[in-house]
Amino acid sequence: MYKYLLCWRYLKTRYIALASVISVMLGVATMIVVNAVMAGFSGTMRDRLHGILADIVVESYDLDGFYDWREVQSIIQDDCGDQVAATAPTMETFGLLKIYLPNGEAVTRQVMVIGIRPEDRAKTGDFSEFVQDESGKPVKPSFDVPKAWQTHSPAGHLLADTPKDDPLHEILAQQAAEQVPDRGAILGYALATIHRPGTTSDDFIAPEGAKIGLAFPKAGRKPEAAYDDYTVVGFFKSGMSEYDSMHVYVPLERLQYMRMLGDGAGNGAVNQIQVQVKPGVDMNVVAERIQRALDSRRPGYFRVATWEEKQGPLLEAVRIEQFILNVLLFLIIAVAGFGILAIFSMIVVEKTRDIGVLKALGASNGGVRGIFLSYGLALSVVGCGAGMIEGLLIVHYLNDIERAINSLTGTRVFNPDIYYFSEIPTHIDPWTVAGVVLGAIMIAVTASVWPAQRASKLHPVQAIRFE
Amino acid sequence: MIFPFPSKDRHVSTLHLHAVGLKKTYRKGRSLEVPVLHGVDFSVSQGEMVAIVGASGSGKSTLLHLLGLLDSPDSGHIYLRGERIDHLPDRKRDHLRNEAFGFVFQSYHLMPELTALENVLMPHLIRLSPWGWFSRKKELKKEAAAWLDRVGLGHRAKHKPSELSGGEMQRAAIARALAGNPQMILADEPTGNLDAETGASVMRLLRDLNRERGLTMMVVTHDLNVARQADRIVRLNHGLVETYVPGLAA
Repeated sequence: MYKYLLCWRYLKTRYIALASVISVMLGVATMIVVNAVMAGFSGTMRDRLHGILADIVVESYDLDGFYDWREVQSIIQDDCGDQVAATAPTMETFGLLKIYLPNGEAVTRQVMVIGIRPEDRAKTGDFSEFVQDESGKPVKPSFDVPKAWQTHSPAGHLLADTPKDDPLHEILAQQAAEQVPDRGAILGYALATIHRPGTTSDDFIAPEGAKIGLAFPKAGRKPEAAYDDYTVVGFFKSGMSEYDSMHVYVPLERLQYMRMLGDGAGNGAVNQIQVQVKPGVDMNVVAERIQRALDSRRPGYFRVATWEEKQGPLLEAVRIEQFILNVLLFLIIAVAGFGILAIFSMIVVEKTRDIGVLKALGASNGGVRGIFLSYGLALSVVGCGAGMIEGLLIVHYLNDIERAINSLTGTRVFNPDIYYFSEIPTHIDPWTVAGVVLGAIMIAVTASVWPAQRASKLHPVQAIRFE
Repeated sequence: MIFPFPSKDRHVSTLHLHAVGLKKTYRKGRSLEVPVLHGVDFSVSQGEMVAIVGASGSGKSTLLHLLGLLDSPDSGHIYLRGERIDHLPDRKRDHLRNEAFGFVFQSYHLMPELTALENVLMPHLIRLSPWGWFSRKKELKKEAAAWLDRVGLGHRAKHKPSELSGGEMQRAAIARALAGNPQMILADEPTGNLDAETGASVMRLLRDLNRERGLTMMVVTHDLNVARQADRIVRLNHGLVETYVPGLAA
């Protein structure tokens, strides 16, 4: 019983020892905050990545794709129909984007041109949630160009005043179609806008109704480029700059036609089939089954990958970053452990005579060891508990803290324009918190083992005579 | 004449603790050896109060530590009520120190974090498990308070050692030594840090307790006035029991 009484009294009276666990407390709080923010970031990033890609992507090794994609869809349905919710054929290819500016100049960007059927693509993944209009309002994905846009074009205005039997009518109609092509394109938000430093909003260089030009490779033995014009009808804003600054969505049939891979009426090649599995289904298992089924049809031609596999390097980089940060922060707690060791050693020296008296009164070596181990445990529980509460409070009020720092310093700590998040995303995983707290307690208790052992080995007579 | 064994005193009859041929050498480093006891024979009877006197370095405290199992002799044997105890394993030695012996030290050695009452309770706190303690807490606290009353510190029960005078601390230490209901009190210079008047009152207290309760007591001292209050005086000189001075009891 004396162990607990003395441990409690030491805890109440030895403030220097409490000071030693402040570093443990700060380490625990930092680890909880860092892990919560990183989990928030990576969780949001995963959601967005997953939203852009379907659960499983079946693609051909050849960029020109395959014509029998309806059969491939049938194979997928036949083999995993009970586990697959939807499929969508797409054509993905590299390209160059030309944005025509009002001053007559043009901006050229390297892009990924993706041919889709909006209704099908909306069923696979959260693609439709990322499509918005110029004001930022979500809109249904569609490539339809409103007739009014052509009417309001310079040629359109003239056309309205020109009788149908006028020889100019046909020329003006052609010019109106050229000025506002009837083929819509959904442009990545970062492609369509520029952000001027010091401003809070983005300026559109390719607003709704703007004409853009695309160049992409044609199919065939010789590498040749195809050119096509589109009208911007919407913007794709996922929050992932990698996609928002690269993706241009165009009608699948038009892309097939222009690449000389289709007749423009739906009969053509695709190089990807997006597969959405039903909720609760293990997509890795489905991906393996699809791969086996397609390999039996055309060995080595199709590559089937889950969205996680496709984003492997990025997700792995985030995981490694989080792991390294945790290791570094744990090292900080380990350093704090050495502080505890030093202070405990000092306390053992200070308490040498008391230890001798305790032994004279019949305390065993184990009992004396127990005093200092329970003291170490109590200190670490106090430190880690306080650190956990502090960490959780910081996470809970993180955005308020950020706003307060912003108003105090006049600078943005967390710039939503960079991350596309309106607030700092956080996610508290109870297991991570438990792991951090238990790990820190273990380090702190381990640091008290050596001083406790030293105390227990003190000879009672030498301890009593200690000056 | 060397005569370390008890006389046929009025209330001294059975051997309580005796030691035969105790030798102890302290070693400092690899080469330096300081022989302290050279084969001491010693005994004390039930209810006897023995004073051990001698010059500094004569081995008085070492003898007390060996008899109280705080240290082990290099050779020789120690018997408690006829049972050999010097060779016991640590666990049993801890037990005996807690239950059979009560120690009083020159520098009191009270726990500074605990109150006088808690210090007095320490032998029980060491002896009992948390469950045992909580089931007997009331009774033991009452008993400890009674011991504090007995040594004249009833009004100081909740005071920390830093709030007590030297004499009061020594009285609290005596109460602590008695609280565990030991068979024997081993006091090492109990008046060494006290002025003459306070020292005398502490010795009177020890003597009264010896008489009231028939407690066996060994008091190490270099003060002959203190030693005179014992039933018997044993003088140590250069690690040997040199003189036995009977009949000097107060």
